[in-house]
Amino acid sequence: MPRLFASLSTSQRVGAGLLALLVLFAVLEGLLGRTDPALQNLAQRFATPSLAEPLGTDPFGRSMLARMGAALRLSLSLSLVCVLTSALIGVALGIAAGWRQGWVDRALSFVLNVVLALPGLVLILLVAGLAPGSLLALYVAISLVLWVEYFRVVRAITRQAVASQPMQASRMLGFGWRYCLRRHVWPALVGPVATLAAFGAAGSIMALAALGFVAVGLRPPTAELGLMMVELFPYYSDAPWVLAQPVLAVFLLVLGLNLLAGKRA
Amino acid sequence: MTILLRIEALSVQADGKTLLEPLSLNLAAGECLTILGETGAGKSLLMHAIMGTLPPPLTASGRILLGDTDLASLERSARERLWGQQLAMLPQEPWHSLDPLMPALQQVAEVHECVHGQAPEQAQQTATQALTGVGLEAAAARLPGQLSGGMAQRLAFCAATAAGAPILLADEPTKGLDASRRDQVATLLRQHAQQGALLTITHDVEVARQLGGTLLVMRAGHLLESGDAQAILAAPQHDYTRALIAADPRHWPAPLVAAVTGAPASEPVLEARGLRLKRGGRQLFEGLDLRIEPGEILGIAGDSGCGKSSLGDLLLGLLPADAGVVTRRPGVAAHRYLKLYQDPPAAFAAGVPLRRLFDDVLRLHRLDPAKLPPLLERLRLRPELLARPATEVSGGELQRLAIARALLLDPLLLFADEPVSRLDPITAREVTELLVQSARERGCALLLVSHDAEALARACDRHIRLG
Repeated sequence: MPRLFASLSTSQRVGAGLLALLVLFAVLEGLLGRTDPALQNLAQRFATPSLAEPLGTDPFGRSMLARMGAALRLSLSLSLVCVLTSALIGVALGIAAGWRQGWVDRALSFVLNVVLALPGLVLILLVAGLAPGSLLALYVAISLVLWVEYFRVVRAITRQAVASQPMQASRMLGFGWRYCLRRHVWPALVGPVATLAAFGAAGSIMALAALGFVAVGLRPPTAELGLMMVELFPYYSDAPWVLAQPVLAVFLLVLGLNLLAGKRA
Repeated sequence: MTILLRIEALSVQADGKTLLEPLSLNLAAGECLTILGETGAGKSLLMHAIMGTLPPPLTASGRILLGDTDLASLERSARERLWGQQLAMLPQEPWHSLDPLMPALQQVAEVHECVHGQAPEQAQQTATQALTGVGLEAAAARLPGQLSGGMAQRLAFCAATAAGAPILLADEPTKGLDASRRDQVATLLRQHAQQGALLTITHDVEVARQLGGTLLVMRAGHLLESGDAQAILAAPQHDYTRALIAADPRHWPAPLVAAVTGAPASEPVLEARGLRLKRGGRQLFEGLDLRIEPGEILGIAGDSGCGKSSLGDLLLGLLPADAGVVTRRPGVAAHRYLKLYQDPPAAFAAGVPLRRLFDDVLRLHRLDPAKLPPLLERLRLRPELLARPATEVSGGELQRLAIARALLLDPLLLFADEPVSRLDPITAREVTELLVQSARERGCALLLVSHDAEALARACDRHIRLG
């Protein structure tokens, strides 16, 4: 782990640091916070930040600290699950298509082209529209869009690695496919897949927030960043600091992930 | 005699390290100047420093006088304007400098058109004359990929000199060419020198001999000796020059390694009948029959692009043949037919210590790990090398490690695809010798591919020629 950190560039370290802070906030708030994010207290509308309410309250007097913590936990865990699922599917199918080529490759590439025919967000909107307010539907839709990138990149790299001389040498020495996968294909894949995973996580956070914002995503009173933005938007002149919180959170999450994905200097 | 190019105390540094020690030389009109030395001697750096094409971490200091102008003090754009008109460079691999999608004639014609402002028809005519002059008139319509190594180098020569530069810098112009094509290129270069001046870099002693003129012998960035080429080659003063001359295949003992006599005749390890292969619309060979006896050292000669490597891959079943059959000896494990690569790192997975790769092989075939140390010793390899990944081992050592790994599996047939062409001559001789010796000791048949017929004639029992 320290070696991994040492191999990162400065901007990647900044990105990792940002993410670590956000995760830390989300986790600590979950462990220590005692307030229910949905608990209303209309006497406390738009309370300014104080010792009791460090982030203030929203128009229903709900604790912004609790709501931000819950929203971050939701965004982070959904993006993690989406990235894991899509990477698993994309990498597995990409290796299969790049390695076997022939009809396996043609069949998978056909599916890929079908998925690519629709813009990603439209596809997500479509699935989300079928089952409004369902987190499961969002998860399936986002993963369905994200695996495509892994597939394309992994397929191309695998093709190259399989045709390479080092792998030819290993095959001639009698090594089987498992060994070749581990020694020749996997080392070539790790870097690009990690980069894609960081971009994919940023993409799924944006997608979730975008759906919340256009009100086809999760339903109130769920604390979700996009939903919070649209709820707080009418009060931008009365309580700008409240609206700024979910906006800033999405910005920092996406910035952190993009910095982390950035090319090594 | 007018001095065309004068170099004063030119040196090349990178990150505070001197890669090329201060060197001064004069290139007079009509003169041939040859720099002889192994890879990494700083020869190419000198050439790039003169052209002004050193890649960023490298910097040159000293003066490069072309007439009265000091090139080192000029802007990059001003130096670029001299390219082709004053200074021309013939780069190492002709394929890398030619446009792969443009017919041969057009590559030369476009220089006349763009630099001399000739009308297209006139440019075509001038170019045709130039191609005829080097014997390429029949290849005018071909793409570079369809040319042999010698033809591509002659085409590159035409294109490089078309703009009329008096000074030609040739960087390893005969790399990968067999003896006859090498001589053709050397003749071309000598002719050019009579009209201008020539600075050649080579590791081929024979090219240096043919070009004549002044010879500089370099090693690891500094000059060892200089003087008249014939005099130095006849009576070298420096040990290194002597070793370099002895490493020239023409000076190898014949045979390089004595054959083991009285090998009992048995079943061939491999038999091929009626092989045919077409590549890029060109017939490489047809109706080729081949029989490889156990323990035989068989050479395949021919210059780059003639299908030597493809033939080997075909025999090992790595490439499908257009026609014909290859039969191996029945009942023998597939991993006893192995290949050695031209580029030593190609045989090893990157980023892993070599020891792990060797352990993988030992474990896979349940071999006794005690077999490895004597084998390494036989190939004059230090066991400590195994702690490093392939990228941190020199080419010569890595190629010997590849040989060691292959020999672990007790191969029946080893196909060595130009195993020493990326190594400097002294190492090349050592590796060839060790390879042939080890093959002989183990009764392993060796299929040795090379562009150097001289080397094959001395190293092999028999050899065939392609192309």
